[in-house]
Amino acid sequence: MNDPNRRGRVTAGDRVRRLLSVVPWIAAREGPTIEEICARFALTRAQLLADLDVVFMVGLYPFTPDELIDVIIEDDRVFIRLADYFARPLRLTPDQALALVAAGSSMAPWGQADPDSPLARGLAKVAAVLGIDAESALEVRLGEARPDLLELLRGAAAERRRVELSYYSYGRDTQTRRLVDPHRVYADGGQWYLDATCHLAHGDRLFRLDRIESATLTDETFAPPANRPSPPGDEGVYHPSAEDPRVVLELEPAAVWLVDHYPCELVEPLEGGRMRVTLAVSAPAWLERLLVRLGNDAVLVRADPPLDTGIGRRAAGRILRRYRR
Amino acid sequence: MSAAKVERLLNLSAALLAAERPLTASEIRRRVPGYPEDLGSFRRTFERDKDDLRQMGIPLKLMEVEFEGRWTEGYRIPPEDYALRDPGLEADELAALHFAAHAVRLEGVSSAEALQTLAGERFGAIEEEARVIEAAGDEPLARVPVDERLMRLFGALVDRHPVTFGYNGTNRTIEPHRLDYQRGRWYLSGHDRQRGEARSFRVERIEGDVAVLVAETFVAPAQPHPGVVLRSWQLGSVEPVWAEVAVDADQALSARRHLGEESVVGTDDEGRTLFRVEVRNVEAFRGLVLTFLDHAEVLGPPALRDDVVRWLEALERS
Repeated sequence: MNDPNRRGRVTAGDRVRRLLSVVPWIAAREGPTIEEICARFALTRAQLLADLDVVFMVGLYPFTPDELIDVIIEDDRVFIRLADYFARPLRLTPDQALALVAAGSSMAPWGQADPDSPLARGLAKVAAVLGIDAESALEVRLGEARPDLLELLRGAAAERRRVELSYYSYGRDTQTRRLVDPHRVYADGGQWYLDATCHLAHGDRLFRLDRIESATLTDETFAPPANRPSPPGDEGVYHPSAEDPRVVLELEPAAVWLVDHYPCELVEPLEGGRMRVTLAVSAPAWLERLLVRLGNDAVLVRADPPLDTGIGRRAAGRILRRYRR
Repeated sequence: MSAAKVERLLNLSAALLAAERPLTASEIRRRVPGYPEDLGSFRRTFERDKDDLRQMGIPLKLMEVEFEGRWTEGYRIPPEDYALRDPGLEADELAALHFAAHAVRLEGVSSAEALQTLAGERFGAIEEEARVIEAAGDEPLARVPVDERLMRLFGALVDRHPVTFGYNGTNRTIEPHRLDYQRGRWYLSGHDRQRGEARSFRVERIEGDVAVLVAETFVAPAQPHPGVVLRSWQLGSVEPVWAEVAVDADQALSARRHLGEESVVGTDDEGRTLFRVEVRNVEAFRGLVLTFLDHAEVLGPPALRDDVVRWLEALERS
């Protein structure tokens, strides 16, 4: 599906599948018009006629006329008579079934948990046709977010109501209150985001829903922004910029897991399974966290611009004070 | 795209659907027009056609048949497996599914066709509503990435076929029981035949392609698979220890998300939120606690508290 060569191009398989839906549909009717068929299956007239052209040649061995599918086009109406084998539509493909079951499963925050909701009932019926138990066979979690918060923000975006947020900024390790104009709520890569114009930062920001401690609707509304550039800069997820400081760390073998989990700009293997990596630093608290987790398995060898290399050591001291009270 | 291939695939499907008994490759070669004369070319073309039919979701079954006095492989499409069973969806259920599929889209997969097929004649009942939903927002709530391997895994899960694939340099044979999408990634859980136990795999880490063993089927597990556990401090081989952790009020929200609501046990007199966490991996637990910097404190048991203190003291002295 991700093969770019396949996308947009109609393969022989796609056409066969389409015909296996179109043919029984026409056969079950008394001569639908070409226009009706095209509207029902989103086909152009030329596509439909080309497909029907193929169907003329389909049948069973020994392909005597009575064993061929009978297609008649008369006064812009299509009649198909055929053997029983194509009378019923083909079952769902794995990708179609997956698309439905996954979409249904992921909507859990909107009441799929309620077994009597239309979605839960529909999902259970689709799963039954597939022969699986929807709940135990597949689960899609778009991200962690409180359903009430999601509802509030989506409603606010739809009604263009200003919202007051209490937001935890992870990189800076601070809690702030701010007014925002919410534009859109969406999930991506396992996280829920709010795309909003922030009045504290005087610009567009992307907020992570799991870091919003509370959100309150205000009575103020806002006008839809004209030509808003998208996507805005990201408040929660870090994209390094050229101006951010860079640090060089030397990692003991016990710490090389870092390479898989953090975006390293440069990785140089050293002797004995050690590694030297270069990372961009978003905020001091981020570097502190990283250094205390790595402990003595990492050495901060260089920083550009120069940085106090004792930052990890001092963070360790600060945490230890809690334990020594 | 060639009309000749479309024609051949349709004739092949018709022949296998109408066949009362499985047809052998040589019978197919004789009965289905459009295959090359040369035997080697026929075999290659037929192999590709079989793959194509399976990709389309056509249930091509392989079985041993006695043909001209010896056992050989035969092919058939059982009509009862081929045809869609009508799920009998009510209009409100169809509309809800339509809304869900429109809001959450799997990359590169259209669910519109699937819904039309499932709805049959009832699609007319929601057609107007469907148009309204589609017009309302062109930006979905979420896009979920999928690839060919995930489709194969899901197809195999539905049809209860085992799969084989490479993972961490070894070849695995898995009975697929469950797929999970968490933190932006797909995971497969199932029964690992070589190891004789339940295992989970990250789908994007699968090396190369997924092969479906279509000739085999497995029996669904009596107990549903619980799915993948992504809390690294709970993934370990040591006996579980229950740790008590205090987190400052302003970080409690983030801690609840990391540790799970079920682990909250109360608050202390400083207003800190108290958590009780099952730990099976001490290093991962230490890493977790330290991401809270000086906003979290391990209260006990002493062994875990000492581990954090010793770790920090070593760093402080460096």
